[in-house]
Amino acid sequence: MADDQLIIGHRNSEWTGFGPLLEEDIAFSSMAQDKIGHSLALYTILHELGESDPDTVAFTRNANQFHNSIFTELANQEYDFSLIRHFLYDTAEALRFELLTNSTCEPLAQVARKVRGELRYHTLHAKTWMKQLGSATEESVSRLQKSLEQAMPYALGMFEESPYEKEIMEAGIFEGEQKLKELWMAKVEETISQTSLHLPDWKIVQPINGGRIGKHTEHLQPLLDEMSEVFRIDPGAEW
Amino acid sequence: MNSLDPRVTRLPHIGEEGKIVPKASLDQFGTYEVFVQPKEGKPFQHEGIVHAPNLELAYVLAKETFTRRFTCTSLYVTDTRDVFVSPLTEGDKNAYDQIKSSALTFGVKMQFEIYHLPKRGKQHIHVGSVQASSPEEAMSEAKLKFNQGKTVFNIWAIETDNIRFTSPEEQELWLTLPDKKFRDAAEYKGGDKLKNFLESRIEN
Amino acid sequence: MYGGGNTFEVIKADDVAQEDPILLAVFEARIARGEKIEPTDWMPQLYRKQLIRMIEQHGHSEIIGALPEGTWITRAPGFKRKMALMAKVQDEVGHAQLLYSAAETLGKSREQMIDDLITGKSKYSNIFNYPTFTWADCCFISWLVDAGAIVNQLANAKGSYGPYCRALDRICAEESFHLKYGHHCVIYLASGTQKQRDMFQAALNRWWPPMMHFFGPSDKISVHTEMLMKWKVKMGSNDDMRNQFLDMYVPKIWELGFVIPDPNLKKNEETGRWDYTEPDWEEFKRVINGGGPCNKERLEVRRIAEERGKWVREALKTPKAKYVMPLA
Repeated sequence: MADDQLIIGHRNSEWTGFGPLLEEDIAFSSMAQDKIGHSLALYTILHELGESDPDTVAFTRNANQFHNSIFTELANQEYDFSLIRHFLYDTAEALRFELLTNSTCEPLAQVARKVRGELRYHTLHAKTWMKQLGSATEESVSRLQKSLEQAMPYALGMFEESPYEKEIMEAGIFEGEQKLKELWMAKVEETISQTSLHLPDWKIVQPINGGRIGKHTEHLQPLLDEMSEVFRIDPGAEW
Repeated sequence: MNSLDPRVTRLPHIGEEGKIVPKASLDQFGTYEVFVQPKEGKPFQHEGIVHAPNLELAYVLAKETFTRRFTCTSLYVTDTRDVFVSPLTEGDKNAYDQIKSSALTFGVKMQFEIYHLPKRGKQHIHVGSVQASSPEEAMSEAKLKFNQGKTVFNIWAIETDNIRFTSPEEQELWLTLPDKKFRDAAEYKGGDKLKNFLESRIEN
Repeated sequence: MYGGGNTFEVIKADDVAQEDPILLAVFEARIARGEKIEPTDWMPQLYRKQLIRMIEQHGHSEIIGALPEGTWITRAPGFKRKMALMAKVQDEVGHAQLLYSAAETLGKSREQMIDDLITGKSKYSNIFNYPTFTWADCCFISWLVDAGAIVNQLANAKGSYGPYCRALDRICAEESFHLKYGHHCVIYLASGTQKQRDMFQAALNRWWPPMMHFFGPSDKISVHTEMLMKWKVKMGSNDDMRNQFLDMYVPKIWELGFVIPDPNLKKNEETGRWDYTEPDWEEFKRVINGGGPCNKERLEVRRIAEERGKWVREALKTPKAKYVMPLA
């Protein structure tokens, strides 16, 4: 989860200063900051459980040590893809945190309760844009449709189960990827049905997995190299 | 493009350098006025505008444009064309003196929100609402209700139904603002670090 | 972020001669009383023209100013810096939004202003035509370019045009975080490893000349602006602003043990003002007219951003929403 939030936040921050209109540039950047903030909160929990400090964990690992879903690391491409990813990802993210508010892992539940307001905005933003562009001009509809089809197999990779799925569920930490996926599908269908877009047939789409076990695409390592370029000049230094 | 910014290096090649297709002047988005409530119990005040194609998107865009930094509790937006504006006065002239008391009308009454400009250069502040069947009548109702001695330089009236308010469940949008310390100047106190550094320089 | 390096047009003697003398007297009396001018007030054409020009240049400086620091947005070291830099660059975009809105109240649309930026018709602060080679360059901007901008913006916030003053009040409040953050970054570089210190010293050497240019040509050679001063469009002379900046920040740079690359820089005890090597104003002119190292790139980035966003804006356009001038 922390890796997901960091990588998607980093990707979305690449739009800052390049957005399609000023107000949207600002909004998209805020949400990217929120996501990096969430990743920091989660790495902090891990640190309290014995992991290294957040900066070290985030800025010194290699791609094969990251557990983010491949979906988050893909390049931004044009704004249509970034928006579709924002919609699909944030819908899942908001539901995931909502489920976690009941987690037996109290620090996690606390973070989940805290970020609820932020995620409400992220999903409001995503839904409003989907409805707007998803039934506007021929170009906007066809762009979004194309991106939706391209994104969907990767999006399903968000629900790849970790090797510890069973233990996590039994301990009451999380209700499970399968449940999350079902909730997510319903929400996605609800919004898409209010647009001119068409969802691909769930039964046919094959999820692209691997991220959770450190198998990534060629996109991730360059992203990490770039992110840690300054940090690695002297990892011991304070910046 | 080869750049020091890796993001720029990755930009796609589009169009021709220095060439733009001019946008048809004034053929663009609408303008929406944004009002923010800084604190529970405080009046809403005008903060600025956003460009948007409709009221709902104006609300979504206004949220981060105007309420990402300083703590606040609520926000609303309205189409600039839905704001009725009184004459602007100066010196010690009260804008309400320019409002005629209108004759009683019998149309359907609607609610209007009323705003005052207490000083030139300041923001318009919400003072309350009135019932009226037209904006003109709203202004004259406001004169009866809110003209209480203090000089007001400009009055706005907005029909309440034309405002996109924050719903009760959306109030939580701003809850984490005080926690976003990385945007707070007070978080960047370099004092101790600086002091230690200066002391170590003297020692050397 | 904006300095005084803006270019005002040369004012001709008959520019105000055609204005209605009674309206002009009322207008000038209002400014003299210290009251602000609001969008619906009568104003001389020259006042409107010069204000649009100034606020627009300021807006462009913010949106272009997001680029040199943006160069490091994906590379900021550590969570704290990463989030702060994202927020800071975002603020610059936000400031452009506020300033364009203020200029719009005078009758020029945002789209028109952005077109004029991309075609090179209107200018922006010269300093952003220089490259940020290292993280330390980025820190220099965050601290000292913002500091310079605040000196200028605080002065302008006392000007006569209401919407511009409101935008500046907001901008200055937001920039207090930028300044503190920037100083914080530089303190960490100064007290860090030798490599970190060297990085900042190198950045200081690169950025000092453009920083001196930032406040605009010396009063000795700049166009006469008495009328604009009287109308409170321009609030201080370029040299005064530069001197104020030096007063506030040279001691802070020296305190950190860095060397400012100007052997003549010192406070003149008699005049109470700073002596310095006269900046190279030919270089300033060359860069402002397109000859700087990054002019081309900065405008290209904006052009491409506009082109890429075009389909979004096209899709959002509806006959129902109509552009009108903002109210305040």
